Amino acid sequence: MNAIDPRVISPHAYGAVRWAALATAAGQRIPFGAILLIVVLLGAAGFGISRTRRGRHGKERDDGWGRRNAPTAPPAPPVATVSATPPAAAISPEPPATADAAPAPPRTAHPIPAPTVAPDVTRTADSIPAPARTPRPATSFERPADGWAVETHGLTKRFGATVAVNGVELLVPRGVAFGYLGPNGAGKTTLIRTLLGLTRANGGTMSLLGIPVPAQRSLAQARVGAIVDEPRFHPHLTGRDNLRLLAAARGGDARQRIGPSLERVGLAERADDKVASYSMGMRQRLGVASCLLGDPELLILDEPMNGLDPAGMHEMRTMIISLVDEGRTVVLSSHLLDEVERTCDAVAIVDRGRVVRQGPIDELTRGTDAGSLLVDCADPARAARLIDEAGIAAGTSLTDAGLTVTLPAGSSRELVADINRRLVGSGISVYGLQETRASLEEWFLSVTTRLGENP
Amino acid sequence: MTSPAPTAEPLLSAGRSPTRPGRVTVPRRLGAALPTWDLIVTKHLELRKRRGLMITVAVMIIAPTVLIMGLRLGFHLFDPAHYGPAGSPSVFNAIANLMAEFGFIVAAVVGAAAATTDLNDGVFRYLVITGRSRLALYLARIPAGLAILISALAISFTMLCLVTAYESVPQPTTVSMNNNISVPAHLDQAQLQTWVGQHPRQAGQAFFDILSGPGSGQVQPNASVASTDFTQYTSAEDTQFNPAPNEMFKIGLWLGLEIGIGFLVGLGLGSLTGQRTLSTILLIGLEIIVTPILARAEIPYFLNGQRLDVGVAMDQLRPAALAPATPGGGGGPGGLLFGGRGALGIPPMPTWSMISVIVGWIVVWSVVGAWRMMTRDA
Repeated sequence: MNAIDPRVISPHAYGAVRWAALATAAGQRIPFGAILLIVVLLGAAGFGISRTRRGRHGKERDDGWGRRNAPTAPPAPPVATVSATPPAAAISPEPPATADAAPAPPRTAHPIPAPTVAPDVTRTADSIPAPARTPRPATSFERPADGWAVETHGLTKRFGATVAVNGVELLVPRGVAFGYLGPNGAGKTTLIRTLLGLTRANGGTMSLLGIPVPAQRSLAQARVGAIVDEPRFHPHLTGRDNLRLLAAARGGDARQRIGPSLERVGLAERADDKVASYSMGMRQRLGVASCLLGDPELLILDEPMNGLDPAGMHEMRTMIISLVDEGRTVVLSSHLLDEVERTCDAVAIVDRGRVVRQGPIDELTRGTDAGSLLVDCADPARAARLIDEAGIAAGTSLTDAGLTVTLPAGSSRELVADINRRLVGSGISVYGLQETRASLEEWFLSVTTRLGENP
Repeated sequence: MTSPAPTAEPLLSAGRSPTRPGRVTVPRRLGAALPTWDLIVTKHLELRKRRGLMITVAVMIIAPTVLIMGLRLGFHLFDPAHYGPAGSPSVFNAIANLMAEFGFIVAAVVGAAAATTDLNDGVFRYLVITGRSRLALYLARIPAGLAILISALAISFTMLCLVTAYESVPQPTTVSMNNNISVPAHLDQAQLQTWVGQHPRQAGQAFFDILSGPGSGQVQPNASVASTDFTQYTSAEDTQFNPAPNEMFKIGLWLGLEIGIGFLVGLGLGSLTGQRTLSTILLIGLEIIVTPILARAEIPYFLNGQRLDVGVAMDQLRPAALAPATPGGGGGPGGLLFGGRGALGIPPMPTWSMISVIVGWIVVWSVVGAWRMMTRDA
């Protein structure tokens, strides 16, 4: 153990002082006055550095645009349509992609404005309108001609006896927001690190944008931007200088994209401040800006909502959606089910290092539970008898809120209309029908094994 | 139909134009092992903006010269009767030796910092994600760090040389030996032999080792000058004369090599351990504890092991005009590059061994550091 940690009390000052003392003791011919002056100067410098280091990392949370302590509000519960489609099974893996690097497909231009730099600080998550999202065709899990955005087969990564990634079969379509969802410790970050060459796989094959890695890693990663764990930067450099560093590593035109990237994430005004003064939200945004330096076709974002308040999460969501609308593929690793549900088109559920399900969210959640119908009507008891006698529902129950009808598995939306017709036809006034289905969260808990386990 | 553009689209406005097939330009040398100029410049920027590191470099390399010479210049200016000119051979030797010792240590600190800051700040993984060759990332650190150290050394050493050359005591024409006997300066061994033959009485008082008999104080005209006598003579010259410009240049090169080795070893060790503090402590220990012991005391049956220390090899390579910080070294052959006589207290190693040890340290630590960087989990 180091008795004195130079990170705390200026390591250089400590080393020099110690050396000077030892050198003097050793009888070397160093003028004592010079040593004394150096020691005093070093001490003063070390003291100054220690002072400036204090309070560097503030506890305030903000949304990444410099708004601190914005009011928070719980996210709205998901309400969606019950679908009659049967449960989606795990997607069968296809044979590994060929090694040829196919060109990227044309992207669709969607002129969505960049996020506003300084929105009203009084807004809460509830008052923020939902992100404008350009309608996209249903996510297709047919193999694209130019390869999947991400494709792994039997990918395995072990740390000693622990298998963090266990034979993962993953197929990420192009041009979608794809959620990689799993509880803490499920192996999400390890998979991303393996894909990006940050650690070596113990088995399996993988490709990014149809390009096999690690065989052609440089070629593949030139088209990929990523945030892993959390965005990290040199705190003593400005945001712009940090991007210069990364742009120099990327080469090509990356340096010319520094300004536009900063503009895009709303950090242009703070770009010349040291990163040490940035909030977590601003670092997340700088992380996205760093991803954009390579004008990537594929972005891999690991827990991008971490540290963001609701307004910041909303802005991040907007940005992710706008990136997808430009034709980029965004892989979003998260344990925040609600965020994934709001942002992504398709998901893969990972548990204990294995992908247990993957596919479009609607297909996955549809049919796991048929859902229910809350009926607000004039005579709930008679309505319940009527529905039971008709035999069109799996069950009914009377609650304080009214009549709850359990819909049978596989039922379609037409059943809701049918119930409404029958009630009205029987002279029962119907004031409202509210259909609910299993949320991604409920479904997630049903397919993972962590429910009820101690954290 | 849109024709393929020659370069990638630099702008990233949200309403960007449609993507063209295969339009992402992959820099051709992204996977190449050699770093680009931009990579070196930005790494230099990253190091240069570490305030604590730069203060350390300035204080340990530049400040001693500025302070000592500044004080001496000031004292001489205000009270020339009591304080002599700022420059003198002994001050030159003291500061140059200080520069060598402090320079090695601060170079090791900078090297360890260059190796570990990306890791410690968590930026390393983002550099790897760019697809840039890890070897290129490692190699970029070498010129970036050396540029800082060598410039600091150049500033400090130039200042030292200028003050020594232009603000110095008048240079004597003789060398003062034992019993204040003056011997003509700048003699080689043969010329000294001639002088001894011509001045046997003075030689007997000046050089004890050539006495014909104990206490006689006389030598025979044909008495030979022992190598220890010549070493004593040249050592006295070094402490009483300012180095000639070409000697100053050799000393500057030697100091640059000392600092370069410190940096490269610090870089390699820092990369290997991933810990800046540990690497720095180890190298300080090497410089101020291990090397002095190995260079000055012969350990039975371990002489060749002692010679494997780069500090020992560098002491042997020490230029002739730079007197060792601690007198009493036995001296080695040196002479190949800097005309050095060395400062060793152990039998010198052959010149090819000396060069092999120095090159070996540079190559081995660079290879180890690069290997660890290429295989490390980011």
